[in-house]
Amino acid sequence: MTKGHEMTQSTRILTVDDSASMRALLLNALQQEGFNVEQAVDGQDALDWLATNEVDVIITDINMPRLDGFGLIERLRESARHADRPILVLSTESSDEKKRRARDAGATGWIVKPFNADKLAAAVRRIAH
Amino acid sequence: MSAMDRRPPGKPAAKRITVLQGEAHASSAPQVELSTVLGSCVATCLFDPIARVGGMNHFLLAEPPPHLGHLEFDEHYGLFLMELLINEMLKLGAAKSRLKARLYGGANMNSGLSQIGSANAAFARRFLQQEGIVQAFEDLEGQSARRVYFQPATGRVRCSTTAQAAIPKQKPAAPPQSDIGQVELF
Repeated sequence: MTKGHEMTQSTRILTVDDSASMRALLLNALQQEGFNVEQAVDGQDALDWLATNEVDVIITDINMPRLDGFGLIERLRESARHADRPILVLSTESSDEKKRRARDAGATGWIVKPFNADKLAAAVRRIAH
Repeated sequence: MSAMDRRPPGKPAAKRITVLQGEAHASSAPQVELSTVLGSCVATCLFDPIARVGGMNHFLLAEPPPHLGHLEFDEHYGLFLMELLINEMLKLGAAKSRLKARLYGGANMNSGLSQIGSANAAFARRFLQQEGIVQAFEDLEGQSARRVYFQPATGRVRCSTTAQAAIPKQKPAAPPQSDIGQVELF
């Protein structure tokens, strides 16, 4: 688990991705948009951290070791604390079948990599509670 | 096998797949050979020796188009093709922790222009280091075009220099999917 610099804007985002390169890119992009960013290296890491911490929005990859993005979404939706937490999937995948599976698991939305920082930030602001 | 076929008995016919700029292919089929021709582009050949799964991508970092904002989207696109390749290999049974990489290309064909070949090479090396993927070999930079053949089921690679005229016209391409960056709220 790594932590981004404190920002003045209060919206807190947890990004979940096993790629260190993608985590660095997301951290840079979201911090430049003024968000407070926390990062987890896979679904299990995210679950462990969320057991004692809160965020406003979760952005997760799908293909990850230990616990993938689908599993993470399912586990979070089983928890009363995270039942309504906005969760965006950010993936290179774009098949209707994968999107349907994410939606059925409880995802809030789907973004296809490579992401557009402006669109990603707009989506986060739109769904953040 | 015909009288003109010089393949050894039992050797399957080769199925050659050309990996173009902006593409990534993975396979575990013994008869498949991935090939590409590189100028300033870089091809990453990844191989899992346990699963015997291999794959190749072919990327050229792009200048960030104005409508994509202020980020360094050149690396973003290279990162996308790396992740695409790894994901395709994972689907075939590869494990990221076992991957070994060989890098090719990244030539600076025109000494008077920007060193985009070196930028491509530097990105590829940095990506492997950040992801903890072993870089087993590199044949990068210089001024010569390269032709690369990769057998994904064995990890075997052949690389030779080739005439610059053999290189397909290359320019930073838009990402290969029409719905890249698309935000879909359910």
